[in-house]
Amino acid sequence: MADEKALTESILVVGGGISGLTTAVEAAEAGRDVFIVEKRSYLGGRVAQLNQYFPKLCPPSCGLEINFRRIRQNPRIKTFTMAQVENISGEEGNFDVTIKLNPRYVNENCTACGECAAGVTTEIPNEYNYNMDKIKAVYLPHDMAYPMRYVIAPEIIGTEEATKAKEACQYDAVDLEMQPESVTLKVASVVWATGWNPYDATRMENLGYGTVPNVITNVMMERLAASDGPTGGKIVRPADGKPVESVAFVQCAGSRDENYMPFCSHICCLASLKQTTYVREQLPDAKVTIFYIDIRALGKYEEFYTKVAADENVTLIKGKVAKVEADPASGQIVVEAEDIYSGSKSQAKVDLVVLATGMEPSTATARVPADVSYDESGFVVSEKPGIYAAGCARRPLDVATSNRDATAAALKAIQSTVRR
Amino acid sequence: MADESAVQVESKAATLIEPDLNFVRELKEAGGDTLKKCFQCATCSVVCALSPDQKPYPRKEMVYSQWGLKDKLVNNVDVWLCHYCNDCSTHCPRGARPGDTLRAVRALSFRHFAFPSFMGKIVGEKKYLPIMLAIPVLILLLGIKIAGGHIPEGAVEYRDLFPLLLVDAIFVTVTFLAIGSIGFGLWNFLQGIHANAVAEGYAEDKPLAMGDYVKSLISVIPTILLHDKFKLCTTNRDRYWAHILVLVGFVGLFIVTNLGFVGIYGGPLLGINTDFLAPPYSIANPIKLFALLVGIGLLGGILLVIANRLKPKDAESTISYLDWSLIVAVLVTVSTGLLTWIGRVGNLGTVAYGIYFLHLGSVFYIIAYLPYSKLAHMFYRTVAMGYAAYIDRPFGVEGVAAAPVAAPEVEPTPAAEEPAAEAEPVEEKAEAPAEVEAEAPAEPEEEKPAEEEEKKE
Repeated sequence: MADEKALTESILVVGGGISGLTTAVEAAEAGRDVFIVEKRSYLGGRVAQLNQYFPKLCPPSCGLEINFRRIRQNPRIKTFTMAQVENISGEEGNFDVTIKLNPRYVNENCTACGECAAGVTTEIPNEYNYNMDKIKAVYLPHDMAYPMRYVIAPEIIGTEEATKAKEACQYDAVDLEMQPESVTLKVASVVWATGWNPYDATRMENLGYGTVPNVITNVMMERLAASDGPTGGKIVRPADGKPVESVAFVQCAGSRDENYMPFCSHICCLASLKQTTYVREQLPDAKVTIFYIDIRALGKYEEFYTKVAADENVTLIKGKVAKVEADPASGQIVVEAEDIYSGSKSQAKVDLVVLATGMEPSTATARVPADVSYDESGFVVSEKPGIYAAGCARRPLDVATSNRDATAAALKAIQSTVRR
Repeated sequence: MADESAVQVESKAATLIEPDLNFVRELKEAGGDTLKKCFQCATCSVVCALSPDQKPYPRKEMVYSQWGLKDKLVNNVDVWLCHYCNDCSTHCPRGARPGDTLRAVRALSFRHFAFPSFMGKIVGEKKYLPIMLAIPVLILLLGIKIAGGHIPEGAVEYRDLFPLLLVDAIFVTVTFLAIGSIGFGLWNFLQGIHANAVAEGYAEDKPLAMGDYVKSLISVIPTILLHDKFKLCTTNRDRYWAHILVLVGFVGLFIVTNLGFVGIYGGPLLGINTDFLAPPYSIANPIKLFALLVGIGLLGGILLVIANRLKPKDAESTISYLDWSLIVAVLVTVSTGLLTWIGRVGNLGTVAYGIYFLHLGSVFYIIAYLPYSKLAHMFYRTVAMGYAAYIDRPFGVEGVAAAPVAAPEVEPTPAAEEPAAEAEPVEEKAEAPAEVEAEAPAEPEEEKPAEEEEKKE
């Protein structure tokens, strides 16, 4: 990438989730040099945190593994993890981008043997599991992490624990002297694929998240059901580990609501139907109730909905949940909605409540450092020539649609490299 | 509740919807302009602290409103159980403001039952305001002309401008006309809500038993006076004090007026000496003190009402014309009432007579338009709350979450299975009594009180 031509034909992809990976792979395989900048210590984004995809119910590792292999084999792709874009200047075909690289304190020598972590006792919240458990401050982000390298949390830098970790490493992979660095890249175009964050469920005070035990969000449910999750994949009440006999799914928790996010997040209906299959498969006697405004299972997804709805242990109630309260006597949770079809209030007493929280675009809180505009919810709407949004930074999408969107973004980004 | 079978029948029968588009337009004009935004998620029915468990409101009223089902709305008992807490509007994900829509439904409900019906239109629509104002002015001017037609000289003595008998003749007549008119409207309203409740499935299909109904009506009076239901509001919680002060003010002034009336006319009629009750009262007279107290209470209450309405709210809410046209009248009445007294005591001459004229005019306005103005809610709501008690439709029952205990453990109670649905209300009643009860505005009849008191002096 030293010569002038290579520099100006490069593409920057911001965000290493499914949209960013797809954009990068597509553009690189079409002959462009691509930089991926990822904020976290690993690639894969939200998809890496899923238990299964809908509707085929396969694990996300299959989709991700293929992309990782394509990246590994393609010398045109360069990846920066724990990195953030600080500034973009210039114009289409000739952008200067400043990237800040945060120290990982572990270099490429790492074999992920785990010796460094063995003697460490300090624990930090495990973000990968949505803070449902803790991990050591020297950690592998998750079992399938790419790159497969340990990370040392900044919290313990300067302490004995860090020194211990360094001493335990036989490969000279721990470098406690690492400092934040700044890198400047020259690129022809930028694809902004920073995805989404689960909406902060504590804002819906009447839904009990954060105040009523065993009320979790749908992304946490993915971790709860995943074999590398906090319970090893066992669906239990997270607060006390007791068995779950009944689950209520609360649809549109913060979505389609002017008070929170006015838009439909697109995936939550299918996500809850999918998670219903987790419960039903693992707990044959468990009852599931799904409270909804409308079930939006469109096109090919309708079949999945029909199949789940036919399960006699699954009840679908049309009516939005507006009250979630603890029942201290039983340790259960009472979920209340109006059952519109019967015209009476319905109270379900359940062990676990899953709030189907929606997708808040990451750009709602972390803007693109360039001149682009957003809709009222923070999705990128107008694109500056040469800067394109892809995936959930643009609108709420499922994985399959994100991939198509990302491919389209790759084409636009390539066009920017030759438009002069 | 008797509605189980009705629900099922309803869901099977094909229903022909005949929308009254004109009614939808009227609802929007009366403050329900957002009703079309509703997408029937039913958040409102659940966040409402007053809504019953069976056939809760306001979700169903929102769809009736969108569909223009006038009969189901003007005859709807549930809209009168709503106390305009507006918790529904605060939580509404669409800004459809169910609370404001129900308020508009109530306004159109008593307009619908107005007798004579053109009065409902005149009072309900802004464009007729000049006519509304002209009527009392013309009648009072006529009265002054009959009485001599000039402003008295010397110490302020209101009966020199307007002889007592003439004032009372005018106001007693107007009062009885108002009572007759609202009585007629309320009777039709009661029949209407009964027929509709039967159709909706929450009342048994048999004629109204008036004796039992009256007992129910009496049973809700304490709830109304104590404003128990208001206390369950969150969003509009601050209306509690404003509303109870206004209610107590009205009731207090009504009592004072009647005492004065007995003082003046009771003696000759009953053949006993009632002079000690007759106005004008000295400042030390307990009746006067009481009158001043409730008058000031009413003034404070109405000022609070205004302040609350002007305060920015969680749910941005409209203030309807019907609200303002009454609020201003009450403010004018109570403030001129107090000033009339000051005018007499302070001997303010022409100014005092001017205030007195304004006072009489505003009192006339309040009494004459009572059956059609916002004040009618006092009577319609009382009748409706009495009816809710009569059909045993509990609302504003705290501890809903405790109710499902009766239902099978882990079960939603989708009203599908009879036993669950049946068990629920019973349980609820058993646990609720303490908090139950209704609230609402004032009590029956009278309005006139407030001012006549002063008038007589």
